[in-house]
Amino acid sequence: MIQLFHLFKNFGPNAALRDIDLRVSRGEFVLITGPSGAGKTTLLRLIFGAEKPTSGQILINSINLNRLGRASLDLLRRRIGFVFQDFKLLPKKTVFENVALALEVTGERGSIVRKKTHQSLRRVDLAQKEKAYPLSLSGGEQQRVAIARAIVKDPLILLADEPTGNLDADLTRDIITLFKNIHVKGTTIVVATHNQELFEHSGQRTVVLKRGKIVAEK
Amino acid sequence: MKLRLWSYFLRQALINIMNNRLVHVIGLGTMFVSILIFGAFLLLFVNLNVWVQGVGQTLSMSVYLDDGISVSKRDMIASWIKSLPTAKIDRFIAKEDALKELRRVLGPQAGLLEGLSANPLPASLEVVFEKSNGQRIDPERIKKELEKMEGVEEVQYSEEWLKQFKGLLGLIKMTGLIIGGLLCLGILFIITNTIKLTIYSRKEEIEILKLVGATDWFVKIPFLLEGAIQGILSGILALLILFSGYYLFTAEKMLFTGVGVFDLIFLPHEYSLLIFLGSVTLGLTGSLIAVRRFFDI
Repeated sequence: MIQLFHLFKNFGPNAALRDIDLRVSRGEFVLITGPSGAGKTTLLRLIFGAEKPTSGQILINSINLNRLGRASLDLLRRRIGFVFQDFKLLPKKTVFENVALALEVTGERGSIVRKKTHQSLRRVDLAQKEKAYPLSLSGGEQQRVAIARAIVKDPLILLADEPTGNLDADLTRDIITLFKNIHVKGTTIVVATHNQELFEHSGQRTVVLKRGKIVAEK
Repeated sequence: MKLRLWSYFLRQALINIMNNRLVHVIGLGTMFVSILIFGAFLLLFVNLNVWVQGVGQTLSMSVYLDDGISVSKRDMIASWIKSLPTAKIDRFIAKEDALKELRRVLGPQAGLLEGLSANPLPASLEVVFEKSNGQRIDPERIKKELEKMEGVEEVQYSEEWLKQFKGLLGLIKMTGLIIGGLLCLGILFIITNTIKLTIYSRKEEIEILKLVGATDWFVKIPFLLEGAIQGILSGILALLILFSGYYLFTAEKMLFTGVGVFDLIFLPHEYSLLIFLGSVTLGLTGSLIAVRRFFDI
């Protein structure tokens, strides 16, 4: 599903990623972990096509991202859900509108947009808050809105960057359970987190990054 | 593209306009005034052109005769003139009648003529040529022929000053085109910057749209529609105000204000359509420049 070959990414003179080789199979749940500044976010952004590698190849479902034009990349992104560390919700749109946005950009019919958005909000247990605005929600609720938006288009791959970043223990557990439920339905999931312990004992494959290099795999 | 997407784009464009209404009102106002100035210039040009064409439909010629010309010679000149196609002798003005006419025109200043020992004005034949039947008239050739005849002192015709006026009309046309060109550049500058400001205000939303898989055109089209809507509104407003101005100047009620009623025509349909379409095109082009320069997400 995801194949990375000899991937390098530099920001000016600084190397963010160095010689990354990684394969993620369909339906796998992979944790990318490591200390802050290890390159976890950069790795997810490269897989998502939001950054271009300095060198190396990225294949998503056998499609080489280096060879994709802008328009094709836009279409590919519709099959990848991304949960951002800072949620990236629009404050002037309601919870419902924020989630529906991911379907509206695909030109989906209004009735389908409404149906799938409601389903997605139910999955993250936020159906009762669909008319609320993001700034009136707690951090955990905003995170769940971001997850609902990422899964509303039934993505093949779900990428999440520090999804439990600033949440308390209870909310973190809820989010982890939510990811597991999404994974059970067959979605490939890659989660970047500095807090590896949260996912311990759950049997996920874990890739450890340090200073831009993979230093361990469990 | 799907129809429901267009309804989404239109909704987004209207929301953008409402969210940035101050910027849009300023842009719209400036664009409207620019188009109004151009339209007023066009209206002036069209009316002058129609007036010149109307005057040019008939050619009038004054054939000044030598003093003491015999009646037979005068009749001979008259019959030669009558033999010309479409020519008609409107009237014969005798020397004394010419002086009387001058006195009437001078009015209170007619006393200036009292010191004259003799009447200096020549008698004349006033000739009119009707151009409407498609006949080509060469007034310069006729003038030369007449001036060769014995008993003819001088010949003057109306097109001589009309030619000079047409030169002036050409100058007005050129000035209008230059002003129009400058106004178009101004409008493009205004629209481009208005749209740029709305793009800046929605930068975060654009970024998120792109991250959830929106194509470039999906993001761009609402901005293009914003420019087009500005163009549509400016064009319609400018034409409405122009027509109101025209109506006011031509309405009978102007008589009560003491200002005379002007015999004007409004812009022909194709010119009005041109102003409207030009306005929409400028709006679209301005926003296209803005989105092309801005988008690199």
